[in-house]
Amino acid sequence: MAAAAAGAGSGPWAAQEKQFPPALLSFFIYNPRFGPREGQEENKILFYHPNEVEKNEKIRNVGLCEAIVQFTRTFSPSKPAKSLHTQKNRQFFNEPEENFWMVMVVRNPIIEKQSKDGKPVIEYQEEELLDKVYSSVLRQCYSMYKLFNGTFLKAMEDGGVKLLKERLEKFFHRYLQTLHLQSCDLLDIFGGISFFPLDKMTYLKIQSFINRMEESLNIVKYTAFLYNDQLICGLEQDDMRILYKYLTTSLFPRHIEPELAGRDSPIRAEMPGNLQHYGRFLTGPLNLNDPDAKCRFPKIFVNTDDTYEELHLIVYKAMSAAVCFMIDASVHPTLDFCRRLDSIVGPQLTVLASDICEQFNINKRMSGSEKEPQFKFIYFNHMNLAEKSTVHMRKTPSVSLTSVHPDLMKILGDINSDFTRVDEDEEIIVKAMSDYWVVGKKSDRRELYVILNQKNANLIEVNEEVKKLCATQFNNIFFLD
Amino acid sequence: MEVGGDTAAPAPGGAEDLEDTQFPSEEAREGGGVHAVPPDPEDEGLEETEDHKLVFLQQGPLLLVAMSRTSQSAAQLRGELLAVHAQIVSTLTRASVARIFAHKQNYDLRRLLAGSERTLDRLLDSMEQDPGALPLGAVRCVPLARPLRDALGALLRRCTAPGLALSVLAVGGRLITAAQERNVLAECRLDPADLQLLLDWVGAPAFAAGEAWAPVCLPRFNPDGFFYAYVARLDAMPVCLLLLGTQREAFHAMAACRRLVEDGMHALGAMRALGEAASFSNASSASAPAYSVQAVGAPGLRHFLYKPLDIPDHHRQLPQFTSPELEAPYSREEERQRLSDLYHRLHARLHSTSRPLRLIYHVAEKETLLAWVTSKFELYTCLSPLVTKAGAILVVTKLLRWVKKEEDRLFIRYPPKYSTPPATSTDQAAHNGLFTGP
Repeated sequence: MAAAAAGAGSGPWAAQEKQFPPALLSFFIYNPRFGPREGQEENKILFYHPNEVEKNEKIRNVGLCEAIVQFTRTFSPSKPAKSLHTQKNRQFFNEPEENFWMVMVVRNPIIEKQSKDGKPVIEYQEEELLDKVYSSVLRQCYSMYKLFNGTFLKAMEDGGVKLLKERLEKFFHRYLQTLHLQSCDLLDIFGGISFFPLDKMTYLKIQSFINRMEESLNIVKYTAFLYNDQLICGLEQDDMRILYKYLTTSLFPRHIEPELAGRDSPIRAEMPGNLQHYGRFLTGPLNLNDPDAKCRFPKIFVNTDDTYEELHLIVYKAMSAAVCFMIDASVHPTLDFCRRLDSIVGPQLTVLASDICEQFNINKRMSGSEKEPQFKFIYFNHMNLAEKSTVHMRKTPSVSLTSVHPDLMKILGDINSDFTRVDEDEEIIVKAMSDYWVVGKKSDRRELYVILNQKNANLIEVNEEVKKLCATQFNNIFFLD
Repeated sequence: MEVGGDTAAPAPGGAEDLEDTQFPSEEAREGGGVHAVPPDPEDEGLEETEDHKLVFLQQGPLLLVAMSRTSQSAAQLRGELLAVHAQIVSTLTRASVARIFAHKQNYDLRRLLAGSERTLDRLLDSMEQDPGALPLGAVRCVPLARPLRDALGALLRRCTAPGLALSVLAVGGRLITAAQERNVLAECRLDPADLQLLLDWVGAPAFAAGEAWAPVCLPRFNPDGFFYAYVARLDAMPVCLLLLGTQREAFHAMAACRRLVEDGMHALGAMRALGEAASFSNASSASAPAYSVQAVGAPGLRHFLYKPLDIPDHHRQLPQFTSPELEAPYSREEERQRLSDLYHRLHARLHSTSRPLRLIYHVAEKETLLAWVTSKFELYTCLSPLVTKAGAILVVTKLLRWVKKEEDRLFIRYPPKYSTPPATSTDQAAHNGLFTGP
């Protein structure tokens, strides 16, 4: 049984210790109904990564998962297998639609040491990973697929297994490359949204802007508004959270602001040359002056549980403000429409963006929180999905940086696991070996985690510090003794 | 977690059937439904469904499976499976099990384990409802005045027989004192889990009266060999004497030893003192000598487990722990199990291989728990849920003071050892103490 290496390492092994983070070993999607008889097993497999694996091995791996699910159904018919732990890896199971199974296999982190006789000794760290994190990542894989492709069932209705396989291949081939399993943590469990703090006036300005735009561009069905990668208003929760993730981790990071680009940057050359406003399309036509510009927008699927709507996603940005216009897919936006949108939205959005910026700066000065936040904390509200973290730096497509040691994040994950075990309000305070204190509070569907670096503090002092934080930031919504 | 009784076990079929399975008996259906789902040929596996955990453990030719609907962690379930396996080894030895299956793959091991289902049931019950021994890797002693305990230890040391390796005096599954033969056991460690196994073993109904002579294997000391155990109830009391020796024909010598011990104990007046210790108990379970948590005098304290880690200079102690009787609100079985699971979970977090902790303070609806490990002790406390943090610190301080005051009574501080003639030469200088604990 593998044991994790001691922190500092000692003796003749320390110098040559190599650490390997968790990695994606395989990812596959299958439906056992598609190949129930012997000889037909290959038909069950709808997607398999890595594709180079030999066919029989694919069939074997899928068969094993099927057997495990069947086996566990004996004990728990309504809630089948979630995960399987073995020494070398962990498998996660998800059944997003009836009989369609998604399985993700993650290799456990490894420590490789050089033993005295020069041979490398591999130790698998079996207890390291948090199940909930990777189960959430797996669920998110489905949500993201569904956002851009609709449900599996719909694909089957539209074009049978062939179409479904094509869509799965096209989507997951690229999406799996964006998974960075080594930096997944508590925030992946929450899948929350960061909301932009607003005063009433500014909110009304934005709401009024949206109303005006929706009226002028009367084919718009839904609108979402973000400032600085934070949401102000948008779609219904479940759809918005996955759209938000797409926007903030994929779309926005790909488009840095042209006014920030250097003089020789190629982005400058592409600027429409319109000096009246800073608005531009992030999806759709790059250059409105080009008569052959393609007006193709990504299609998204929302409300898949009832109305099942297919929409064009138009994302238009000016400085730090981004507005998403969603139009029914049956309507095809033409270049004329795009130009009209640009001429109406561009100037108004530019003005609005600077208004918001100005008000935001005023507010910041008034509340005096100019300096770096002193507290490292993570907050999540299950009711509105609001999340706030002073621990995570800006998320980029490649990695989410945290300012605390990953082990501390895992301790937060452990506390979260404990919280989910019961419905009642709880508080858990731990002192880690590194003498960091971690305080977790759950109150009324809100969770707060605070990390304190105060080696010599005792329980009472830690409690006082957290009280201070709650008084300033959370207006005493957490019960404290 | 329950063990399937005689009726629920699946009929043995091909070599694929799991030989050693335990099911909640009301859930086993369709022949147990346990068909070979061989996990990858790696040692252990865990499957999780919502609310359920299945743990697979492979030990030699045996595959053990645990299924739990409660909040026990995988590590805890694995620990229970290991204990079950140890119990099987203690009856048969690991070497014989391997030999049997090498000879015949389809052998139904239940034939050799007949009658031990109840032992296994009791083992699992005690692990679940009496927290402490399993995760802490320590044994619990009967609280006893030190002079008496020392005298009993000296008595054991005097009463020896050829081949005698270990003498144990126990009552109610708890240790009074033990003496170890320096040469036989000094070179290897006597694991507290083995000692606990012996204590549980002598608590079996088979040993309820008179004297008995049976082979037993100590799985962690030497999983392939047998000792021969003489077990006797002294003076029709719950006090039990266990003499473990290496010689098969030594029954009469052991019986003679026992008479010496009995006489000695009468001379000391020990019987009455032990009888009193044995009868002090609110618990309905048979004569479990213990003390009440009220003795600590810290209101708000409901229960605790305390394991000392500071070891006196010249002696390395047998790892021990102490805890009071479980009283209200933990009188019912479900509540005891729930508390036990909570302690297990705290222990797992404190001793996590990748992210261990020093202290956990958990305020929940039904109780507040404080778990704390320092270089001097490991402590788990269960407090009223309404206690404040300042209040909790006060309670714990009082508790630590009380334990320090009572430590001579609660723990065996200086375990004795003897040397039976003829003494064979061994490297004695290297071994200072009695039980070189883990």
